[in-house]
Amino acid sequence: MAETMIEIVDLTRTYGPLKALDRINLQVARGQVMGFLGPNGAGKTTTMRILAGLLSPSEGTVKVGGIDLIDQPNAARARLGYLPESPPLYPELTVREYLTYLAQLRGVSADRRKSAVDRAMERCGLTHVAGRLLENVSRGYKQRAGIAQAIVHGPDVVILDEPTVGLDPIQIREIRALIRELGGEHSVLLSTHILPEVRMTCDRVAVIAKGKIVAEDSLDGLEARFQHLAALRVRWNAPPALEAVREIAGVGEVEPGAEGWLITPKKGADPTPELVRRSVEQGWDLRELTPTSRTLEEIFLNLTTTEAEQNGSAKEAA
Amino acid sequence: MNAIGTIAFREWRTLFLSPLAWVLLAAMGGINAYVHQVLLNEFLENSMRMGMFGGAGVPPLSISADIIAPALGNSAVILLMLVPLMAMRLIADEKRRESWPALASSPVTPMQIILGKYFGLMLFLLVVIGMVALPPLTLFLFGKPDVGRVAAAFLGLILMTSAFGAVGLAASSMTKNPFVAAVAGFGALLMLWIAAWMGDPSGGLLERAVSYISFVTHFENFLKGVISTGDLAYYLFITALALLFARQRLMAERLSG
Repeated sequence: MAETMIEIVDLTRTYGPLKALDRINLQVARGQVMGFLGPNGAGKTTTMRILAGLLSPSEGTVKVGGIDLIDQPNAARARLGYLPESPPLYPELTVREYLTYLAQLRGVSADRRKSAVDRAMERCGLTHVAGRLLENVSRGYKQRAGIAQAIVHGPDVVILDEPTVGLDPIQIREIRALIRELGGEHSVLLSTHILPEVRMTCDRVAVIAKGKIVAEDSLDGLEARFQHLAALRVRWNAPPALEAVREIAGVGEVEPGAEGWLITPKKGADPTPELVRRSVEQGWDLRELTPTSRTLEEIFLNLTTTEAEQNGSAKEAA
Repeated sequence: MNAIGTIAFREWRTLFLSPLAWVLLAAMGGINAYVHQVLLNEFLENSMRMGMFGGAGVPPLSISADIIAPALGNSAVILLMLVPLMAMRLIADEKRRESWPALASSPVTPMQIILGKYFGLMLFLLVVIGMVALPPLTLFLFGKPDVGRVAAAFLGLILMTSAFGAVGLAASSMTKNPFVAAVAGFGALLMLWIAAWMGDPSGGLLERAVSYISFVTHFENFLKGVISTGDLAYYLFITALALLFARQRLMAERLSG
């Protein structure tokens, strides 16, 4: 495995009696884009603010590029770029002045500063607005300037807190392409609650709920893990009796419906061949048999809410 | 040190990019010129009267004691009101408009941030004091003011402005709202100023203590041309205390979130 660039061990953060983070562990390898998912209030922003050095952890250790954030805060922060939820801009400065100031503050030497600023502007598509005041550029450019300041000093680790919120669809697509491109050179921790965004940009995903990491895996791994939950959608011209289906080996739950029956297999079993054989033998006139895989949304909901909450929201919906 | 300079220069430039700084400079310049003119007229009238009736029993008039010292005393009062307005943005505004994370996630310590902001503000305030100095300096063209006394008075004004700036910065570190910071800073400075009214330098222990903590007690010595270690230490102590308080606030913020 590649070098670990972000290493969070047993990180706990309390606000008075409230435990915002409860012993979370997370590792991001060099060049990886890690999606950080979770509902609002789950602890995403708290984790990111701790990584950026804006908050102190109550317990646990955080290392950036192998450097402990508490023991050597400045050395660790020099290797890190952070974009908070709203881009941290100085409206009275031009894009170039702004990036030059932050590059200087973060120790980019005078002879490399101009090329570092030019490169950051080029990567973020800001070159043609370099001379404009930040207060006069559009929302999308503000967001890009926010990303540019997070990468201008060439950090190993880039932390992006919901970078596509409030942008229009074209801007979102561009920012996602940029994030995708950032991986490889930088290690990226990207928080979001937009699930398609994760699919488009991330190598791995960590899901946080109520201050705990509830899953951490590659996207495919996460979906494979929940594959056993997938159901079969079956339609017959002459549907059998419910009991006839239930007694087939491997069949778990059966829900008849107008749009076809939903048959959930027992864990690890596959009743598909038997279903087909019986349908033919007994003349049920099989018309359709589709495996329905769990979507990322369903997996996310499954991970982040307890059963009681799911039933509760089902009742509300009903 | 490099980071302090970077922040200080940025802050100084930013102050000049805000209309507030220019308006304050204009107000300060206007009031200062007016006061100077009034004192100068009074001085000329008095000196003519003394020429006519002779100065028997009256201390002789002096440019430094009768024009420059009261003019600088007056400037100090205006600065008492203006410095909190200049300092209010320093930290509070960065938090309000959410540019703060860019600074706080950079490899700089809270002390470097505080010192950078403080020196940036002081660079600006030195420009203000330089402007205040212009009318009194013209008197050197027409008379012979006591150079030592004038220098002492200016040193006192610079030290006092430094303390004002540090207290204003401390107030700015306490809140996200620049106006709250301005009012808090002004309130604290005014308390330190009017403490002299309650105190009595020759009274009991409490009265002497109250008198000692007042800006006025120490500033008057400088205006008289007296530079004492005690007065120097007083201003440096207030400045250092306020800066440390601001640093403590930034540190505590990381803990409390």
